Amino acid sequence: MRGDEELVVQGLTNVMNSPGAVEGDAVVSVASLSKKFPNGTLAVDNVSFDVPAGQVLGLLGLSGSGKSTLMRLINGLHQPTSGHVSVLGAVIDECSPSELRDARRNIGFVFQQFGLVGRMTCIENVLVGSLGRLRGPRLGVRMYPKVLRVKALERLERVGLLAQAFQRADTLSGGQMQRVAIARSLMQEPKVLLADEPVASLDPESSIQVLDLISQIAREDGMTVICSLHQVELAVGRTDRLIGLRDGRVVLDRLTAGTDQESVMSLYRRSGTAEAEETRVTQLA
Amino acid sequence: MSVKTTSNDAPSLRTTPPVSGRLALQWVFVVSYLLVFLWSWNKLNMSVFSFFSDLGNVGNLFKRMYPPDFGDTGRIIEAMVETVWMALLGTVGAVILSYPLALAAAHNTTKSKTLRAISRGVITLSRAVPEIILAAIFVAAFGPGPFSGILALALHSIGMIGRLFADAIETATEQPREAVVSVGATKRQTTRSAILPQALPSMIATSLFRFEINLRGSAILGLVGAGGIGQIISESLETIQYRPALAAVLVLFVVILAIEIVSTSVRRSLIGEAANLQLSAQRYSFLKKMFQRRDARVNRAATAERRLSPPWTSERLFRTTMLASAGVLIVTAIVTVNIDWFRAIANFDQISIVLKQMFPPSFSGERSNVFTGLIESFAISVVSTTLGVAVALPLGVAMSRNIIVRRWFSTFMRMFVLALRGIPELIIAVIFVSAMGLGAVPGTLALSVTVAVFGAKLFADTMEEVSPAPREAVVSVGATRPQEFISSVIPQFVSPFVAHFFYLLDVFFRSSTVLGIVGGGGIGFLLLQSIRVFEFQLTTMIVLGVYLIVLAIEWLGLGVRRLYR
Repeated sequence: MRGDEELVVQGLTNVMNSPGAVEGDAVVSVASLSKKFPNGTLAVDNVSFDVPAGQVLGLLGLSGSGKSTLMRLINGLHQPTSGHVSVLGAVIDECSPSELRDARRNIGFVFQQFGLVGRMTCIENVLVGSLGRLRGPRLGVRMYPKVLRVKALERLERVGLLAQAFQRADTLSGGQMQRVAIARSLMQEPKVLLADEPVASLDPESSIQVLDLISQIAREDGMTVICSLHQVELAVGRTDRLIGLRDGRVVLDRLTAGTDQESVMSLYRRSGTAEAEETRVTQLA
Repeated sequence: MSVKTTSNDAPSLRTTPPVSGRLALQWVFVVSYLLVFLWSWNKLNMSVFSFFSDLGNVGNLFKRMYPPDFGDTGRIIEAMVETVWMALLGTVGAVILSYPLALAAAHNTTKSKTLRAISRGVITLSRAVPEIILAAIFVAAFGPGPFSGILALALHSIGMIGRLFADAIETATEQPREAVVSVGATKRQTTRSAILPQALPSMIATSLFRFEINLRGSAILGLVGAGGIGQIISESLETIQYRPALAAVLVLFVVILAIEIVSTSVRRSLIGEAANLQLSAQRYSFLKKMFQRRDARVNRAATAERRLSPPWTSERLFRTTMLASAGVLIVTAIVTVNIDWFRAIANFDQISIVLKQMFPPSFSGERSNVFTGLIESFAISVVSTTLGVAVALPLGVAMSRNIIVRRWFSTFMRMFVLALRGIPELIIAVIFVSAMGLGAVPGTLALSVTVAVFGAKLFADTMEEVSPAPREAVVSVGATRPQEFISSVIPQFVSPFVAHFFYLLDVFFRSSTVLGIVGGGGIGFLLLQSIRVFEFQLTTMIVLGVYLIVLAIEWLGLGVRRLYR
């Protein structure tokens, strides 16, 4: 066994003891992962967990708790300071650039700010999702093979936006934009979907639509999903497991079934010092 | 809640976008422009075959200029300092005049359409008259010297600074303005608190950029007697003493290089490198890490002590130092430049005498020459802009620090382009004319070089400012770098590229109207002659013609920009 494989297995053994983990092959494995930025911020602090195939994992925590950084570490958009991430058997932090591209083909990523090019049509934005499996650059819908264009239309139909296929992305509402971004991820036919606060910029109705869509797709396709969220109430009904982060550390890891909203809400309570400070400021005012 | 997975409309079988009127118009524009380009190419008798032999002649001339003769270094440096002061004071004057004009020209700060149109008209008018022609007119009014040069630079620069200031104000996002208006702020408070903070980085970058342009501009004003290093270059070239001329050009180049380095650092500090260069800024230098640690410490201390003013982070220190240095430089320039300010202001009425002689505009029997010259200038600008842009695009990509991963390569390319930018376009034209003989072809090729280097910087700066979010999304699907560039950078670049293209056409049409001063073809020869023989009515007529063409380019540009938005 190679050294890096040994490390991953050790990591797996450690995290399989976590309360939220269930038996099954780990599709995503995070082992003793830390990320410190050059300005001294420790965004992720010794985080370990693994996600079995088909699990929908909700990642909760305050702003700045390290959720987005963790997602980006899983996709290799950031390099960890220490620890390892493995997705579908590939050790992301040790991949060469071409290995990383190979690994990313199977990992869909839905961003908070959608990541669409506004002046491109929806279908072209969706087709971008197939770039990882194509050779050479593409500009314009006609440069993609017809079979992919048909597939892109199917993906748009699946997210309910077929009629908008040839509409510019910047003419859509926030909720529609996020659905196009989901269709782009589906174009990859991913085995793992990372959704980084996908509803943070959306109104409540669009948020529910988008999250329902993600959970429906996950169940229909048997996809493994890691979705970071702010809204506990949205996470509770749509995930199998919840992990809570605070100051970059895992402070909660449990299966969603049987978990009441109130017990998770403690994640969002301020620390004692902050509460005292708030009281002091109120008194001064 | 159930999710809608099918559309209300019947499923579409089309897999390609329908041909919209907009798309058809885009193609009409591309084909029309190509036709205009081919017509201009024929009009100028350009030939692909003689292109390389012409460049060979230019190379031979360079050999004759080498080695440079630094025999009169003291005089060169003295003239260079005067050139820098002229450029600085000209730019400061233009910034002061442009600010209110830009506020009046932007739709989000001025409601009145009439006022906006008048302000835009003034801005465009000031651009229509090339600085060297303004300088020649001011020299006729006030006599030779830097005062004429400063006035010329200030008035001419309003064209660019005013327009880009107005664009910066207009591109400020609406939400902060609405937020400030919603708390009951006055119009001035809204501008100050919601629009200016957004526009200021771009405005300072524009001012610095214009200062660099004016440095090169002030270097050629000597050709018409407005002082500075141009006088030395002009004298040396007239007496076919190429080696001292090269020495003066080299000094100019070094000074421009130094100023560009400072200007780029200030610009980078203003725009914020981290946001735009996130993808390539994975590695941090030791110095940067040290500053970041210090900043984190200073920030923590400020929070702990509940300080009411922002902490002195390295960025704030840098900005304040730059601002103070700029203030000191401006005061030094005013005090030490070779101008008797009281006399210059007292003689200001001289300008009204010249102005009176300029009206009414008249062809003075040169009608056909005016038309031929203007058409030739237009053809020169079309060919040189197209050739220059064709070179500028790959150069711009190579210079963009967020596209080319290897920092050393993009830095090297920036320095290389900078080296070429250091030489004013009329000096390049003189060199090309000296090597290839009089005519429009050397003028066009010289201008193409300037378009290429000027455009490359413009394109590189724009590419560095494309939104990183779509790029990241493309990277996340496993795309290669070329795929990411083509699928996420190019689509974002199209709209600003069209705007820049028309801007370049506009700028270099005006440049093409002065090439004739050094024998590079176009209307320039007739223009300078009219000033030299005091035929100011003809000067006005030519300037009017130039203005009308500039207006037409701008009007067309607005339409085409809308088409590619």
